[in-house]
Amino acid sequence: MLKLSKTIPLLLLLVFFIACSSPLEEQGLIENAKGSTNIASEQLETATSEPPGKTSSTTKRSEPAVSSNKSPNLPVVGLNQDPNTGKPKGGKLIQLFRDPPTLDPHLTTDNISGRLVNEVFGGLVTLGLDLNVAPDLAERIEVSEDGLNYTFHLRKDAKFHNGKPVTSEDVRWSLERVADPLTQSPVAAQYLSDIVGVSAKLEGKANAISGLRIPDEHTVILTIDQPKSYFLSKLTYPTAFVLDQENIENDGSDWLRQPNGTGPFKLAEYQVGELLRLARNENYHLGPPNIDEVEFLLAGGNSMLMYENDEIHVTGVGLADLERVLDPNEPLNAEIITAPTLFSVGYIGMNVNEPPFDDALFRKALNLAIDRDTIASVVLEGSNIPAKTIIPPGFPSHSPNVIGYRYDPVKAHELITQSKYGNDLENLPRITLSISGSFGANVPLALEVILQSWKDNLGVEVEIQQTEWATFLQDLHNRRYQMFQLGWAADYADPENFLDILFHSQSENNHTNYSNPEVDRLLVKARIEPNQETRFGLYNQIEQMILDEAPWVLLWNSGETYALIKPEVKGYELTAMTIPKYRYVYFE
Amino acid sequence: MGTYITRRLMWTPVLLLIVSFITFALGQFGPGDPVQILMGQYSDPEVVERIRKQKGLDDHIAIQYTRYIGNVLQGDFGESYQYRGRQVSELLGKRLWVSAQLNLAGLIISVSLGIIIGLFAALKQGTWWDSAAVSFTLIGQSLHIFLTAPVLLIIFALKLDILPTHGWEGFFSLNTILPAVVLGIPGIAIMTRLTRASTLDITGQDYIRTARAKGLPERIVRTRHILRNALIPVVTSLGFSLAGLASGSFIVELFFGIPGVGLLTIESLFARDYPIIMAVTLLGTALFVLANLVVDLAYPYLDPRIRLRGNYVAG
Repeated sequence: MLKLSKTIPLLLLLVFFIACSSPLEEQGLIENAKGSTNIASEQLETATSEPPGKTSSTTKRSEPAVSSNKSPNLPVVGLNQDPNTGKPKGGKLIQLFRDPPTLDPHLTTDNISGRLVNEVFGGLVTLGLDLNVAPDLAERIEVSEDGLNYTFHLRKDAKFHNGKPVTSEDVRWSLERVADPLTQSPVAAQYLSDIVGVSAKLEGKANAISGLRIPDEHTVILTIDQPKSYFLSKLTYPTAFVLDQENIENDGSDWLRQPNGTGPFKLAEYQVGELLRLARNENYHLGPPNIDEVEFLLAGGNSMLMYENDEIHVTGVGLADLERVLDPNEPLNAEIITAPTLFSVGYIGMNVNEPPFDDALFRKALNLAIDRDTIASVVLEGSNIPAKTIIPPGFPSHSPNVIGYRYDPVKAHELITQSKYGNDLENLPRITLSISGSFGANVPLALEVILQSWKDNLGVEVEIQQTEWATFLQDLHNRRYQMFQLGWAADYADPENFLDILFHSQSENNHTNYSNPEVDRLLVKARIEPNQETRFGLYNQIEQMILDEAPWVLLWNSGETYALIKPEVKGYELTAMTIPKYRYVYFE
Repeated sequence: MGTYITRRLMWTPVLLLIVSFITFALGQFGPGDPVQILMGQYSDPEVVERIRKQKGLDDHIAIQYTRYIGNVLQGDFGESYQYRGRQVSELLGKRLWVSAQLNLAGLIISVSLGIIIGLFAALKQGTWWDSAAVSFTLIGQSLHIFLTAPVLLIIFALKLDILPTHGWEGFFSLNTILPAVVLGIPGIAIMTRLTRASTLDITGQDYIRTARAKGLPERIVRTRHILRNALIPVVTSLGFSLAGLASGSFIVELFFGIPGVGLLTIESLFARDYPIIMAVTLLGTALFVLANLVVDLAYPYLDPRIRLRGNYVAG
């Protein structure tokens, strides 16, 4: 035992070290479920978790107070003033990243691939820093009065990386490629089936897309099935990007080694699992980038440590490091920036066909019985915001007039006793809440508090069942769950992306089986309502109807997240969605 | 001896077929669908169905399996589901080699230190040194990678700034040191205990007494008689470790930014990326079988009493 007593101080010392050090972040071990609201900001910048789609807000980085201490280990060489932009040219931005599942825009479904694909390729339209739809290969777009025909006038100076001009034929070939069933694009139907004839081609019933015409070399006309005002924002997704037919047909399966895109950067080097390097496209039609290169380290590592050791320029900050970094006495504090919140909502879905959730009063009682504000501030330490509505704050159509649920245990108890289960609360049907999680992950503390609140305030006991993501997804789509926890992040900036997709009774993503004919009718009406104000009014009405029937227990919207950026890096924007953004970066 | 090797080698493909079929069937009948995962949370059953058909996932399992094995025999492990457009061989090849080197470095640390400490403990049996050595290695084994990795990183990379935090630059580089130590530490205890136990066992044998009785110098007794015999169980366990060389330690790889096979394997499991899972399983099995064979072949050199014959293995 003598020896043991000597080792105890050593152990204590080690534990002390750990306590003082930056704890481990589970960096991108597991692909974040879409819309998972517990997104660590570190992941935001290093790897996994911007939502796969697009939303719309951006926050300017506040200039750091101290900006003179350059990072000695990081290379910045040969900065020259660019006569056109007045910004210094040159330099290499280094960042921790992950291997993209694919670099083929037509197969891209995740945000890792999306980040890179957005830099190398481009489409007719893109998203600007303000996250509004902006012209890319098309310099002008005309929409017919009935809202069905979109005429795109292509820029005459747009070229592929190899110098070949982009023509309407390239657009046609690209859209037909993605709509070809052999391409196996998982998202072609989601993003492009508004175009007349895309569905037929996807199903193998047509050789061409009937709603696509190219009257001349620089004009593309797309016809859509209904006047959907959100159509253009869908075209900013990589599914609609323009590829070079020769590149793909001549290089066969190797084409992605040297992809011939139209984006601001060329793929200069890609060592799978090690490194991916992008180099400036000098001929980029929207103005070439300021920096020479962006280097993505792909093999992993502790992002925070690497940042502090001056090995990378950017890192997210996990909850564990947050307190230290937010301390004004900490040198790193000068380098912190706030990232915009993601447009997402976390919720607990209830299968409205299964007892006891077949009574709206019961579902409303669950909503009223949890104190979201306290849980958010105490348990989640402000990383998430209590969700009051389905549409996240700041998102198009979000309205303060739509009323969700506040904490009211008395009212909750009243409602549950009025429900058809009120007489016999002792013998409620067994309730199982399914959540996704791997490696026997902990049940999030916030969720445990919610369960305890239900027990204390209503006497309702809920069990937790945890399954790994692939299984969870399958059971979810097969409607096997009585109650489940999930989140949804916007794919494009339109309320249709939340309300229609999640609550229309015929939608494949309506996992609660919620069905209200009046809601369905209004949703269909809102799809094609041309007047934006009227349209958003319809969505507000729909949202209130859904909230009143409470198929969800609303939980959280994602809160602010933080990142660190080296002071010499300027123009680096953290955006709530994936956009081509490295062309704005410059070194000083 | 020749017959023995031939027989063993002939069994290998049979074993591989069995393992591959079981893995294949588990993938088929287990929950989760690769195409659904590609699609993410947004669900469109028609699209899933269409892509499943394109990939041949809807065919009967026998057809799928035969097709797969046929391709593998031609050296084609197929295309990854998750990393679209990439060959499994391309994704795995380099990573396997990196993982193997890293594991070897870890193994060298645990084996060399383990044997030395084990012998030392055995020779000092019952003394203060003995228990100190054993508890020291046990503590090493009890420390989780989640503790050792960050602590070593903070000390050597951040505070002392003498070793890099991440990256892989080949076997002989500074980058290899920290991950190899982290990987090697838990193994030291196993090797120590194994060596210590077998050394003590051998020391009590009659032939050691005989050796001493016939007046051999203690140095000769220890090296030629005790050490050599004591190493047999160590070599056995080494064989299994060798087989493990091809599997990556994904936590260590992730921590130190090493492009090994571990992370890819875990990702593939979660994404139901069957082509990669199959390839990793097959390679792992093949290596395991071969490592066992190598170990069996090594025995006669360590202990002349062990003879390998075609029909049975003695010892």
